[in-house]
Amino acid sequence: MNVQDVPNQDARPTSTPVVISPATAVLQAEAPTYPIGQTIAAEVIAGFREWRVWAILGWDDIRQRYRRSVLGPFWITLSTGMFILLLGVIYSRLFHTDIAIYIPYLSAGLPLWGFISASINESCLAFQEGSRIMKQIKLPYSVYVLRVVWRNFIVFVHTVVIFIPVAIIFKTTPTWATLLVLPGLFIVCVNVAWLATVLAIISTRYRDILPIVGTCIQIAMFATPIMWPVTALGEDTYIAAINPLYHLIEIVRAPMLGTAPQLLSWLVDGGLAIVGSAFAITLLVSKSRRIVFWV
Amino acid sequence: MVAITLHDVGVNIPIFDVSRASLKKALLGRAIGGRFAQSGSHLTVSALKNINIEAHDGDRIALVGDNGSGKSTLLRVVSKVYPPTSGTVNVAGAVSPMFDATLGMSMDATGLENIQIAGTIWGMTRTQIKNSVDDIADFTELGDYLKIPVRTYSNGMMLRLAFAIATVRDPEILLIDEIIGVGDSVFFQKATSRMQKLVERSRILMVAAHQDDMLRRLCNKAIWLSHGSLVQFGDIDSVLVAYRGQGVPVPEPAVS
Repeated sequence: MNVQDVPNQDARPTSTPVVISPATAVLQAEAPTYPIGQTIAAEVIAGFREWRVWAILGWDDIRQRYRRSVLGPFWITLSTGMFILLLGVIYSRLFHTDIAIYIPYLSAGLPLWGFISASINESCLAFQEGSRIMKQIKLPYSVYVLRVVWRNFIVFVHTVVIFIPVAIIFKTTPTWATLLVLPGLFIVCVNVAWLATVLAIISTRYRDILPIVGTCIQIAMFATPIMWPVTALGEDTYIAAINPLYHLIEIVRAPMLGTAPQLLSWLVDGGLAIVGSAFAITLLVSKSRRIVFWV
Repeated sequence: MVAITLHDVGVNIPIFDVSRASLKKALLGRAIGGRFAQSGSHLTVSALKNINIEAHDGDRIALVGDNGSGKSTLLRVVSKVYPPTSGTVNVAGAVSPMFDATLGMSMDATGLENIQIAGTIWGMTRTQIKNSVDDIADFTELGDYLKIPVRTYSNGMMLRLAFAIATVRDPEILLIDEIIGVGDSVFFQKATSRMQKLVERSRILMVAAHQDDMLRRLCNKAIWLSHGSLVQFGDIDSVLVAYRGQGVPVPEPAVS
């Protein structure tokens, strides 16, 4: 039973310095290989099985933000409402659009953009946020990413409710196409999840990614038709068509406003979801043995 | 069957921090004479090398060694937190690590909410959490304090709650990194006996600590690590005698 590897006390290395070797030497050392399928099961599928962990952590994140405030998370609802009202009054004039069209348009697109942008921004810190847990308990890495996506989905639900009174006031009547909101939202979630996974991995290793992502998101908000209607582009609607973020917004916004999204949006978002997920899973599998050392 | 098998395990930990650039230079200078210019790659510290360990049902293993000898790294390898850089790790049985009892504690949440959060992270089911609430309330003697945010707790109360949550589990393989110092002496007695019961419930125990008397009480075997290498693995008394008999340990450079 007793494994006595080095029973002799004299065998203790007396003056060995802590071995510091350049990474190149270490990289050449044989690294054990593990079956890819096993890693996917352990890091991705198991992440969904551990839904209780990310669900409770995500909820706690939200509650912590609004502890001791009277309205709690409904502050998000209120501030979004005020933002939409003010912007609606001014920008509808700016873009010479009927306010009855502009405000529903804004209140359908803005909450979704908030979900996408905040998830992407915060995903850069997903692993660092969870580093205390990560260094103590082996949980699938996707748990930390899904926590970020989930808590921003909670925020999304709190903001998108604004659309209901807006739709009633401005008589945006639901049609059969409105049902397409659900598959649209699913595709958006898949896209957000894979991008969040990729950014979480890369930005944990390279800490300069976070400010880069922040800047890009900020610029993207103005380059994407969220606060301005596509019609404002006049002849040049291709500017929107080549923007994947536009298709990501449109796939949910169009059905909310009662029309089916264009085929192009389905193709772009569906294609991105498949290619992106494959890429994210490949990256996660290949880096899953390094991430804990990066945080 | 509950068992741990480590075969030829090595762990290299990369260091990236830019802020440690001067340390990096200093260490490099010492290791390779300062003539080698590092271009773009990072440093790695070899935290464990060529570790072979076999542990079976009923083994209570103490980890001894100086600071930075690799005790915590070894525990993290067994808990699957650190994937080994080389060698193979086989752990049969559910691992229950206890490295930091305050894990998952959320300052603005109430005591009861913290039981929910921490319990979930520890992998307990909803029913298990529900059933453990009374036990935790009993043990901590916090009573109605459990209904208010833990940020209002004193340090001692915090620790009691954290300790109670962390020790409520039914572990197969229990890994402990340093025993937590808990509150006043009356509570310390209670904590010790609770810990003892937790250890008794486990099938395999691995505990890293510096207090010999406690290790002798809890363990029947010991592993002595030095600079990431296994020096000796055997019954607790012979290893402790050998370890303590080697004289005053030389402090290590703070790298690991």
